Amino acid sequence: MKLLTKTTVYYIAFSFLAFIIGGVILYPVLKGILYREIDENLVTEQLLVEETLRYSDTIPDYHSVFGHMIEVQRGVKPSKYVMNIQDTAVYDPETRDLIACRHLQYIMISSAGHGYTIHIYKPLQRTQSTIVEIFITVIFLFSLLIILLVAVNYFISRRVWIPFYRTLGHLAEYKIAQNEALALPDSSIYEFRMLNRTLDAMSGKIRADYQSLKEFNENAAHELQTPLAIITSKLDLLIQDENLTQDQLEKLGSVYEAIRRMSRLNQGLLLISKIENNQFQASEQVDLSEVIRKTLNNFREICEEKKIRVDSSIRPEITISMNRILAEVLVSNLVTNAVVHNIPEGWIRIDLDHAALTISNTGLPLKVEPESLFGRFRKSERSRDSVGLGLAIVKKIVLFSGMKIRYTANESVHTLKITF
Amino acid sequence: MKILVIEDEKELAQAIREYFRKDDQVCECAFNRDEATEKLNLYDYDCILVDIGLPDGSGLDIIRDLKNQQVDTGIIIISARNSLDDKIDGLNIGADDYLTKPFYLSELNARVKSIIRRKSFSGGNEIVFEEIRIIPDQMVVSVCGHPVDLTRKEYDLLTYFLANKNRVLNKESIAEHLWGDNMDMADSFEFLYNHIKNLRKKILEKGGKNYIRTVYGIGYKFSSSVS
Repeated sequence: MKLLTKTTVYYIAFSFLAFIIGGVILYPVLKGILYREIDENLVTEQLLVEETLRYSDTIPDYHSVFGHMIEVQRGVKPSKYVMNIQDTAVYDPETRDLIACRHLQYIMISSAGHGYTIHIYKPLQRTQSTIVEIFITVIFLFSLLIILLVAVNYFISRRVWIPFYRTLGHLAEYKIAQNEALALPDSSIYEFRMLNRTLDAMSGKIRADYQSLKEFNENAAHELQTPLAIITSKLDLLIQDENLTQDQLEKLGSVYEAIRRMSRLNQGLLLISKIENNQFQASEQVDLSEVIRKTLNNFREICEEKKIRVDSSIRPEITISMNRILAEVLVSNLVTNAVVHNIPEGWIRIDLDHAALTISNTGLPLKVEPESLFGRFRKSERSRDSVGLGLAIVKKIVLFSGMKIRYTANESVHTLKITF
Repeated sequence: MKILVIEDEKELAQAIREYFRKDDQVCECAFNRDEATEKLNLYDYDCILVDIGLPDGSGLDIIRDLKNQQVDTGIIIISARNSLDDKIDGLNIGADDYLTKPFYLSELNARVKSIIRRKSFSGGNEIVFEEIRIIPDQMVVSVCGHPVDLTRKEYDLLTYFLANKNRVLNKESIAEHLWGDNMDMADSFEFLYNHIKNLRKKILEKGGKNYIRTVYGIGYKFSSSVS
């Protein structure tokens, strides 16, 4: 839920609550005010009637000043004066219906010593409709106020949060591997300005750390090349010694093997670092069909010797826009992978069209999750010599060049599909 | 044959010098750019090996100077940077070859010999070893005067052996020379064994001797002292 929606919902909910509470309080208060007015009028009337009655001692033909219905009854002499005001219902012969009234009952004694009961009725029809009218008017104004407040709040919030959403947009698009700094725009709102500055500083720090880490990786791999060169050259000299025993030569052979693996490992890591460091930016239209044909040609002899059948269906002149070296490394690694992990008398099938490059090969059933094969240093126990970087490099190149790769294994058939 | 190694890693430079000197070749070392410039002004070399990253300058500048002075020396760049830009730059300004560290001395030797041969005789010369005769230009091989029909790999193998004759060659270096470094080694050793077997057989068939000796655990040696 968006922040704006959330605040608006809260706003409306609380306003509604206040609305109900206000309504509940408003009705009795309104009623109280009007009843006090009515009761005052009733008492004034009663006083006038009483005045007349006290001295004339006859039931007067009295006309109400306030439009009350007045009824005077002569009765027994009461012991004391009693006044009582209450709500009651009176039968109206005109409408043949009961009508709600305010009723004042007053028991008095005239100067002649007779007891009289005065009833004064005030019909409440008008009053009730007045209460309803006032109530509706107030509620209407109140609602209008709430709607206005919610709307104003909504528009203000929307305006105020604009810089925040802009920052969010920038952050979503930002990649730490890219070369430009984040550079969020300044905002006139203090909090957002601070947020942007903090994010700028933080991303700058992360980016610098990331860059130096990448550079470190590359430099470390690079610096290892020279000691490796020295070791190799000294070994080359050492094995020329005529006096070496069989045993010593065998040990030197193992050293050679280890050095070669280390050197290849190092070259693989260096290549990955270089891709990460954007050193293969230059892209051109590469004729992938040609690259694949050349690579297959290079591997023809090996495949023949390993008795691996190679089928290919390569549409000519399929060009894609990518770095030429990476294209060559990619195809070469894919084919190497298919050859190395193949089984004797197995097969490799390569298909290329304008949408995808698919390479399938026979091999042993997969024991791990297909996706995990793209990790670094993944290798099967069969290929002791492999350093396990081949598919990691493939994945790096594929992602770097904006393509997609999928690995599927179906028992003994492994398929890598790269979609452009 | 006179070779200059311009390399600031003394151990590496000395190893290269030692390897070349075994062949009775003159090989000198320069450990920085100044020293190299001095030596290049004083003497003529058939081939120079230049490291690009020198403490007091770039090896590429040395190559540019040489080319400006129109000195026709074979130039091989040996660099730890396996970067295509460096490679293209180096080859563009006139280097003949580019070798990335780490490399095998036998591979370096083969490349130096091939460049010197191309330079001195415009590639028209022959390589002769006992009864074996190779015309590199036409890739023709004969043993005792009889032409031998070799496959491309067998031919490469033979020339590599001849460039490094009388030396023990480790099988990794041979395999890399033949197939590059994208091969699974276990496979390539097997192929190598077959190719050597076939090459030996073809030479023997035409009346040649068996010069290829297996050095157990390491690789092979091609030498005239037939076992």
